Amino acid sequence: MSDHRPDAGELIFTRVFDAPRDLVFRCMIEPEHLTHFWGPAGVSAPLDRIKVDARPGGVFESVMVNDADGSEYRLRVIYDEVTEPERLAWTDPDSGMTTTSTFTDLGGNRTEVRIRQAKVPEPFRSPEAQAGFLTSLDRFAAYLGTLRARSWGATA
Amino acid sequence: MSVNGLDATFTALADPTRRAIVARLARGDATVNELAEPFDMSLPAVSKHLKVLERSGLISRSRHAQYRPCHLEPEALDVAADWIEENRRVWAERFDKLDEHLRQIQRGPAGDEGRKSR
Repeated sequence: MSDHRPDAGELIFTRVFDAPRDLVFRCMIEPEHLTHFWGPAGVSAPLDRIKVDARPGGVFESVMVNDADGSEYRLRVIYDEVTEPERLAWTDPDSGMTTTSTFTDLGGNRTEVRIRQAKVPEPFRSPEAQAGFLTSLDRFAAYLGTLRARSWGATA
Repeated sequence: MSVNGLDATFTALADPTRRAIVARLARGDATVNELAEPFDMSLPAVSKHLKVLERSGLISRSRHAQYRPCHLEPEALDVAADWIEENRRVWAERFDKLDEHLRQIQRGPAGDEGRKSR
């Protein structure tokens, strides 16, 4: 949709799943589903510590437990938008970062999920920041990896 | 990780000229004059960009040398690059797991029954 064109200060991740859109959307808001995938590799998201109040102003809270050392990381965000089965948006009140998930029905039982993360807009509102910020910063990060290897690998 | 520090770093890197300056400094220290050369910009304009980069901690400038050469501070860059990479990794791994989870639940009741009865 045209309202999702890249903006300043954002990171975008997309993935296509072989599943109907309704189901993929429910996976993102139902603890019984979230517990299976919300923690990244080597990290669990125990079911009894996930709280979801899926409505604008509602809280999404989860504790992620590192399988190796038991250390915990707590995520607590506030939903800005819950439009089933199309869009889900929340804000982390601590960092101000917003995360918007868009669910697109591709037909044939396939669904594209697009995660758009944006920092609090304020620092990015200056005109100079509007010049296509993080789409290029993504590539920039990879580029820096090569520069670092060349230029200051010895000091790293 | 300091979120405010990250904000300053990302804001500094939001500008293509500043990214080019950072890339140039990755190859070695440079004076304002040297940095201004490849860009069609006045020295004050370049200085303004350097101030933003300096505030963000991405570069430092010698207080002693006459021409105050600019020096890249790779640690600030590392923090920004690491943050991006970490985010990408977390979502990639979540999506790997979600993909697997969706496969499992879509095998449906037939699949569950099949497992039970066998």
